[in-house]
Amino acid sequence: MIEVSELRKSYGEKGRSIIAVDGLSFRIRPGTVFGLLGPNGAGKTTTIRVMTTLSDPSGGACSVAGFDVTRDPASIKERIGVVPQENNLDRELSAYENLLIYGLLHRVTGLRKKISEVLSVVELDESRERVVQDFSGGMKRRLLLARALLTDPEVLFLDEPTIGLDPQIRRHFWNVIRKIGMDGRTVVMTTHYIEEAEALCDMVGIMSKGKMVAFDTVKGLKKLVGEYVVDTITEDGRLEQFMCCDRREADSVASGLQGRLTIRRSSLEDVFVKLTGARI
Amino acid sequence: MNTMSWYPVFLREMLLFRRKLFRVGYLFSAMVVPMIYLVTFGLGLGRTIDVGGMSYVAYLLPGLVAMSSMNNSYSWVSSALTLNRHYFKTFQVFVLAPVSPSAIMLGEVFAGMVKGLFASLLIICTGFLFTGMFVTTLFFLVALLLNCFLFASLGVITGMLAKSHEDTSTYNNFFILPMAFFCGTFIPVDRLPAMLGTVVAMLPLTHTNILIRKTALDNEGVVSLSVLVCYAVVFFSIGSRLIRKYSE
Repeated sequence: MIEVSELRKSYGEKGRSIIAVDGLSFRIRPGTVFGLLGPNGAGKTTTIRVMTTLSDPSGGACSVAGFDVTRDPASIKERIGVVPQENNLDRELSAYENLLIYGLLHRVTGLRKKISEVLSVVELDESRERVVQDFSGGMKRRLLLARALLTDPEVLFLDEPTIGLDPQIRRHFWNVIRKIGMDGRTVVMTTHYIEEAEALCDMVGIMSKGKMVAFDTVKGLKKLVGEYVVDTITEDGRLEQFMCCDRREADSVASGLQGRLTIRRSSLEDVFVKLTGARI
Repeated sequence: MNTMSWYPVFLREMLLFRRKLFRVGYLFSAMVVPMIYLVTFGLGLGRTIDVGGMSYVAYLLPGLVAMSSMNNSYSWVSSALTLNRHYFKTFQVFVLAPVSPSAIMLGEVFAGMVKGLFASLLIICTGFLFTGMFVTTLFFLVALLLNCFLFASLGVITGMLAKSHEDTSTYNNFFILPMAFFCGTFIPVDRLPAMLGTVVAMLPLTHTNILIRKTALDNEGVVSLSVLVCYAVVFFSIGSRLIRKYSE
């Protein structure tokens, strides 16, 4: 279980501080794949940093796997795996050496076998002795995922796990994440890719300016703002959208409009635009 | 607490060190500054300096070992830690692991000590080449180990406090460089002006230079040993505390 209550995080000196997370509250049940969406600067990465004990909260409470982030960070560290947004692999070490150090730090038993297993999961078996600085961006992301899986974590945090990956590798990532979710482990991921959240997440939270503006299943969120959208192009070339609760309402709205128009099912992006007035 | 939890931190540094070691540039850069000092002072200017009847090269060599071990233990740790925190983000891997701050500290300090001891070994070998002899006593070894330990610990402190890589040069210019020249490496401390001598007497390298040249433990040696131990304990505690307080 992950419980976040009135979480606040600000940076900088008093009087000139920037509030990154502002009274955030939510709860994630074990075994859930949870997606945190929001525009740049919404506070997603800061929230992940607090949950993974990398940043101290400025206020409120946060517990992961039943342990408080400020009172018992060591117990949380034993139970989580983290794929950070920025590559923090040792560039001058090989893939194997990176995993070896991580495994020793986390006291993984049967480490050599485990390293082979995780490298196989991310299809990097043949590159185990290669130095990381010779890896492509996609290979580095895969190695970060392998590293996070090395400890069989109860909770896996993925901060923009597929950013910059080509579609083929992204699909491979999705399969791995889906499998982790099916194993009953909790996954918390941030993403800019709407289709990624729709494909993987049981629950989705939308953040804007440090606050949670919506928290529900993908289906629930669509219902909240309307399951159908009527898109129309105005005479001056602008796109206008009308959110409708069902198909009948969409047909009715469309009948009163002129010009090019489309009726379609709503997407998470529509939900975001409706709730925050901004594009993801 | 697992008594070996420092080992992965140390191992990481050693794996990186091994790779650097095989680059010609590393060995050259570790040796070039002490060699310049040895030639300039030991074989040049030093001939005019009276160091109580002994040969100046014999006086200078232990000082160069102390200075070089200080520079290498300190600089490697402070520079690597700053880069790992701010640019490469690899320090996150340590703080996200279930190991204690003192274990991270110990791993970093031991790694810094190895680098300092390695640089010292190069000077000792050079000393053999130049003079055909190099006397190492028990006090020499104790002083050398303590010196590496405390300056590697100071390196962690700087690495944890520096806000950018440029900051480490600033700390270096204010603390390490003056110590290299004023703390008894090149000339005995009692030749310095009285006011400067008082300040210098409080600095750790001064006491390393006193202890490293002792052949028997007298009162002065005991004081220097005590000062070095105090510095080691204080720097280690501050470094561990800074790691404990680390938050991004």
